[in-house]
Amino acid sequence: MERNRNRKWKGIQTLFLMKGLMSRVALTAGIITVLAIVFITVWTVRSCSKDRIETVVNDTINITQAHITAMKEIGEWEFLTVTDEEMADTTRRGFFSDDHLIRIYYGRLRLGINMHKVKPHWITATGDSITMHLPDVELLDEDFIDEAKTQSFFESGKWTDADREALYMRAYTSMRKRCLTKENIENARENAEQQFTKMMKALGYKKVGIVFSQDQTNK
Amino acid sequence: MKHILIYMAMCLTALYACSGKRTGAGKDIPADTIPMMLTVIKNCSKLYTAEYHIHKIVTHNDTRKLSGTFLQQQFDITLPLGERKIAIPMDATLKAYVDFSDFSEKNIRRKGDKIEIILPDPKVELTSSRINHKEIKKQVPLLRGAFSDAEMASYEQQGRASIIASIPQTGIIDMAQKSAARILIPMIEQMGFKEENITVTFRKKFSLEDIPQILINNGIENGKE
Repeated sequence: MERNRNRKWKGIQTLFLMKGLMSRVALTAGIITVLAIVFITVWTVRSCSKDRIETVVNDTINITQAHITAMKEIGEWEFLTVTDEEMADTTRRGFFSDDHLIRIYYGRLRLGINMHKVKPHWITATGDSITMHLPDVELLDEDFIDEAKTQSFFESGKWTDADREALYMRAYTSMRKRCLTKENIENARENAEQQFTKMMKALGYKKVGIVFSQDQTNK
Repeated sequence: MKHILIYMAMCLTALYACSGKRTGAGKDIPADTIPMMLTVIKNCSKLYTAEYHIHKIVTHNDTRKLSGTFLQQQFDITLPLGERKIAIPMDATLKAYVDFSDFSEKNIRRKGDKIEIILPDPKVELTSSRINHKEIKKQVPLLRGAFSDAEMASYEQQGRASIIASIPQTGIIDMAQKSAARILIPMIEQMGFKEENITVTFRKKFSLEDIPQILINNGIENGKE
């Protein structure tokens, strides 16, 4: 009887020991699993923190050849430069909202003398005196807008190339009108006189006379 | 029911007609609100002696791509939205000049009846450019937006920069030097000097290495006055 009781007691003890061992193994496995999950999560988060996803559009032009279509010798003596910026805008009225296009044009008007227009024997020199008969000051180049430098300031709605052409023409007309003034032409004429006088004095002439032919008109 | 549908169709047509869709360039109402920004007037003395006309077609084609890295693996996928293309023809004028602003006795050497004119370095300017708007060709697929004004302006500016970069290959400096002599010699001849006694020289013989310096000093190219 006593023997049976001891055996039963030992069995219970063994069972408890086994159960304790099993629970320790399970606990250790659980801890390892949690640690592994934490490690994988941290690694994934760290890896993903350097990740980036974006949509990319190539914004550079292709390489193409530039061709020389004409070359010529000129003799344009510039005496006054008028650098101008023109902000031109156009509006299209709509039912719900208006459309706008605003562009900034850059231009440089050059006033001076075209040396290819001088008449024969335009210089008369006697002793220390010299007289120069010059053609009148004019706008040396009718193409003065650097359109490729134009900046787009604001655009809403759809605009065609014809609209841009019309905007360019408006910028051109107003730039020409504002810069090609009588005062600027007179300034260019005065500067031409000063510069030629300085140059002739450097060449040794003491009395310098400058005469502009007034047969040309600047519109 | 049939009448309601007809009325709805009529209303939609009227709304579409009034939605500000373009009917032609001439029907715009231009409003020039800010006409002027800045005008700078400057005295100078520059003799332009050579002129080149340059033509260039700026082309651009872009595909929208999904690009990036995922789990430290790089990827680059072309999105099936289609490819936009544009060709912009442009013309530019280059001019080479000799600056006479600082011309003085130092630039002249006289020995008896012989005279030598020493000229300063010629410089090159891009004096004007023009976009041929009528000849611009574009191809935009349905799923892509049209080229914006800012995008087109950016391509044109890149084309302009590319023309400036090609100046050293044009030979405009040589032509400018010869042309300057052809203008000045007859002028000095009329002052009583014989043609064989007149020499026009430049500060130094230019090589390809000097060309960037000539362009860097050029105000219009780097935006400085």
